[in-house]
Amino acid sequence: MVDFPPLNKISRRSALALPLGLAASTISNNFVKADEPVRGGTMVMIVQPEPSTLAHYAVTAGNIPPIATQIYEGLVTYDWDQNPQPNLAKSWEIAPDGKSITFKLREDVFFHNGASFTSADVQFSFMEILKKYHPFAPLLLAELTGVDTPDATTAILRLANPAPYLMKALAGRDLPIMCKSVFEGTQILQNPSANKPIGTGPFKFGQWDRGQFVRLDRNEKYWKPGLPYLDHIIARFIPDAATRSAALETGEAHFAGYSAVNYADLARMKTNPILDTTMKGYEMTPALSVLELNAKHPPLDKKEVRQAIAYAIDRKVILRDVMYGYGQPATGPLSKLFKTVGFYTDDVRNYDVPDRLDIANKLLDGAGLPRGANGMRFGIHLEVNSFGEQWLRQAEYLKQALAIVGIDLTLRSEDTATWLRRVYTNYDYDINEPFLSQGVDPVYGLNKQYLTSQIRKGVTFVNDSFYSNPEFDNILNEAMREQDHDKRAALYKKAQQILAEDCPLVWLIDVQYVSVFNRKLHDHTTGPLGTQQAFERAWLEK
Amino acid sequence: MKAGFTRFARNRMALFGAAVLLCLLLLVLFTPVIYPDNPFKLAGPALQPPGGRFLLGTDTLGRDIAAEIAYGARTSLIIGVGATFVAIVLGAVAGGVAGYYRGATETVLMRITEFFQTIPAFIFALLIVAILSPSVSSEIIAIAAVSWPSIARLVRGEFVSLGGREFVQASASLGASDARIIFHHMLPNCASSIIAVGSLLIGTAILLEAGLAFLGLGDPNVMSWGLIISAGRAVLRSAWWICTFPGIAILLTVLGINLVGDGLNEALNPRLRER
Repeated sequence: MVDFPPLNKISRRSALALPLGLAASTISNNFVKADEPVRGGTMVMIVQPEPSTLAHYAVTAGNIPPIATQIYEGLVTYDWDQNPQPNLAKSWEIAPDGKSITFKLREDVFFHNGASFTSADVQFSFMEILKKYHPFAPLLLAELTGVDTPDATTAILRLANPAPYLMKALAGRDLPIMCKSVFEGTQILQNPSANKPIGTGPFKFGQWDRGQFVRLDRNEKYWKPGLPYLDHIIARFIPDAATRSAALETGEAHFAGYSAVNYADLARMKTNPILDTTMKGYEMTPALSVLELNAKHPPLDKKEVRQAIAYAIDRKVILRDVMYGYGQPATGPLSKLFKTVGFYTDDVRNYDVPDRLDIANKLLDGAGLPRGANGMRFGIHLEVNSFGEQWLRQAEYLKQALAIVGIDLTLRSEDTATWLRRVYTNYDYDINEPFLSQGVDPVYGLNKQYLTSQIRKGVTFVNDSFYSNPEFDNILNEAMREQDHDKRAALYKKAQQILAEDCPLVWLIDVQYVSVFNRKLHDHTTGPLGTQQAFERAWLEK
Repeated sequence: MKAGFTRFARNRMALFGAAVLLCLLLLVLFTPVIYPDNPFKLAGPALQPPGGRFLLGTDTLGRDIAAEIAYGARTSLIIGVGATFVAIVLGAVAGGVAGYYRGATETVLMRITEFFQTIPAFIFALLIVAILSPSVSSEIIAIAAVSWPSIARLVRGEFVSLGGREFVQASASLGASDARIIFHHMLPNCASSIIAVGSLLIGTAILLEAGLAFLGLGDPNVMSWGLIISAGRAVLRSAWWICTFPGIAILLTVLGINLVGDGLNEALNPRLRER
């Protein structure tokens, strides 16, 4: 094994160059073909922004999994068709009534602290950590009443009702497995392993130099023989977008996922001979950019007005000029990524029709909102999303687009804390422009956004538009428990049609993330979870 | 005054500055005629280089950069002049009262002034705008709040030195009221220094405003130079013109104001007259 120098003693540049050089020297004698994996090397990936914590089991910010999933694994992984594949669980069986899932676990797995992995860890992770402290696992595990552990390699998940979506969420990203002996008898949220994570994954936590990098080291005792190929992964944090791009262009960093590179820079990156880009690896990371309309604020309480806003916006302009062409115009409440699993439908009210402006004007006239002397019908505010420049650009476009149909939009941009409080606690907003992650199953994205029970004052990114439709609620609750895939798909189709008609939100862009990588790095994107699963097969060409 | 004007006119750099400012003023006055449309309007295809249908090109959303700069000039001037005016009024009142009454009043007022001076100006301005929520008026308040202490110290110093002069003591002994002494005798005598420093303050205020807008704390409904630059920063290496032209506009304006300020200082400051 390569001896690793203490990183805090040497400069940033040499910190990256040195281990690479050392690793290279150990294998430089061997001539290796480009398509055969090579052991060794240090991969530098850019993670943006720096996570505030690595407590993957308690915080779900999108910048944690690229690091945490190298360390924590799940019971299964997913193939490109999003079918579960054995991982910590060798096999599983779902009971005919759907009310229990029996997992057979591997017996040759050890945590990084030496403890062997057993069914007790599964039981503790699900019942004592995830169900209690994870932000959205309580929703995914709502039906889970207990985990039986008849022996060390058998874990039986007991469910009050069938939960067909659960089999989609068992990867290390969504429901990671932690070590019971590390957490037992401690305050879970204060556990020292929060920022020094201990898992079963291919990489062990090495060091976190705040503001600079996290270093992960090869797990020599990893249960998959011969893996991982890399000696180290360094997750670097570079706040400035131009510097991130430069780090990739100079070869200093090998990988930047999750659109850590500005969309504006991608065209230039594509012409760089050492770099390549991919849009794969985000198939299980659906997200939509939307407008939330506050139905408590007239005239947004009128369906016709909400629909008129949806008609007035040209999504193709947003896609071209704000998103630089990455993504697709959203057609309804679910991302097109759900097409693979059969839940997406475009058989809903279509807001992108050639005569959309005429329709919008007619709807507004019909709602009793004639144009005034200045050509405007009414004025409302838009809260500008404070998570980046592109949202202000989008807001500026929306102001122009809505002015055409006589809606006078005033933009309000505030700092993140004030914005979130205004929208989700005080409800003192007309239109909000968030970005919604939709999870691995419609249960996640639809339930939290549109159920009446999800109108929860003070909770961010839930139902803040006051959408409440009992018929719709019933359909979603039924779909949640329906075991038959086709019946479930039919229910979600109905749900999407109702939503598109009621128009509580305006769906703008089906977001497409992009990864930029150095051509010397191979096998980095090996499944639909992409950046949010372990780089166990990734290897660096010499 | 006429002698002062001659002295100003003898300074070529000051004349150049004045010419730049005159052009800027004309641009602001005729903006609604040249560009009758809203500067946020999507005028054409995005990222058009300068020289084609659009004199200075278009930005990432396809807005005409020339129109954006013209409307941005108005914002910059309104905020620059507005903030400076508020700062001068505040500073003159605080400094004047302190310099005239001296004693405990002076101690209290000058400690407050110094307290404000110790806070880094830009960070303090950021904080104020963030609290008040970004708008033209909150930017004026924020910039004035960080600019008034220098005026206060200047006016206090002038008042202290003027307080001992014969003409002030003469009017005091003739029974003139405090207000009459302050407004008729003392303020006019330090007007030249205030004008010289104030004119430089406008330049600083314009820079502060551009900085605030660059960081996303400008009024999102009003076009400004900082906003154009911050929007163009992402594409700096592929579309240089978006950041460059507003940058030149800021440079020329602040340079012009500084040259005029220096010229005024030389023309109005008796100690520099014989140079």
